[in-house]
Amino acid sequence: MRKTFAALIKFYQTWISPMFGPRCKYYPSCSKYAADAVTEYGVRGFAMAAWRLVRCNPWSHGGVDYVLTKSSKQPIKTGAN
Amino acid sequence: MGTILNPLYFAVSWVIVTFHSLLGYVVGKDSHESIKWSLSIIGLVILIRIILIPLFVKQIKSQRALTALQPHMKEIQKKHKDDRQKQSEEMMKLYKEHKTNPLASCFPILAQAPIFFALFTVLNGIARNTPHGFLKGDLLVSAQQAKFFGANLSSTFLSSNTNTQTKLVTVALIIFMSATTFTTQRQLMVKGMPKMDSSNNMMLQQQKIMLYVFPVIFAVSGVNFPVGVLIYWSTTNLWTFGQQFYVIKRNPTPGSPAYEELMKKRAAKNKDSGVLPETTEESGTTQIDPAIGQRQQPSKKKKKKK
Repeated sequence: MRKTFAALIKFYQTWISPMFGPRCKYYPSCSKYAADAVTEYGVRGFAMAAWRLVRCNPWSHGGVDYVLTKSSKQPIKTGAN
Repeated sequence: MGTILNPLYFAVSWVIVTFHSLLGYVVGKDSHESIKWSLSIIGLVILIRIILIPLFVKQIKSQRALTALQPHMKEIQKKHKDDRQKQSEEMMKLYKEHKTNPLASCFPILAQAPIFFALFTVLNGIARNTPHGFLKGDLLVSAQQAKFFGANLSSTFLSSNTNTQTKLVTVALIIFMSATTFTTQRQLMVKGMPKMDSSNNMMLQQQKIMLYVFPVIFAVSGVNFPVGVLIYWSTTNLWTFGQQFYVIKRNPTPGSPAYEELMKKRAAKNKDSGVLPETTEESGTTQIDPAIGQRQQPSKKKKKKK
């Protein structure tokens, strides 16, 4: 399930996202965040990703917001944005 | 899915039906049905885009505030020349510190997607003779017969009963959609974005490819869409194009070629009138300047510590 989701995100990033241009208020972008969150946390990751999407709205100032690893609570910085 | 979208069917059909009856006062209550229905769809687009204007203005305002952050942004770009990831990260930090973010977020798209989907269903309903929301009875029959340059609003390129005229109209609309998207994207890439080192910029490469993939996507999906949806799509694209044209001409992103052009123009104007450059800055920027000027210092200190 986690791999399928990551593949879906990859598809979105390659084919759909460029259509809208860079627009995410956060770093890493919501799509990267979602991929990381689901890979690391499974089902709980979906909720995290959904919450991130809600936070990324026109009234938000954005910022830097990494997914933290389960074990050591370190930000996941691997992979392209 | 249907029950969640039901209120949207009512909303979308209400707007279309209302525009249709309002236009009745202009062009005649029981005549010009084709023009009235076509303009109603265009009216729906205009209404949605007008509702979204405040978001657009907000974005322009934060883009203006960026002018003051220019030196910082250049510093970041220089410091992390070879690390795009670090560069974007620092940039986002800077935006957050100054409480200004020029990016639009997904919201405008996510807000429009269900409306687009609802419109698609409502227009498909016309083709299949299924009423949705307020579009029922006599109105449904009238809408079924409405034409746009001789093509039924409800027919698609691929539907079996489509005549040559409809095929021509759908193809023309698909070409129009592709052309507006292509020029909008190209204009943004060539003039609207800060210059970047293109050799290590994957995103830019990807966007360049997408520029040519769009028309294909439009062609493939467009042949399945009713003429009414194609009208909606074309109008939206045209609006986006106009909006972006305005931004690039009047409020370009700092660091972009369009921005430099505007600065040159302003400098030339100032020379002619003999006014100092500072005094002619727009009121929006001068108001923001002092506040940001004060906040700049802590961010510099932080960078030195690293």
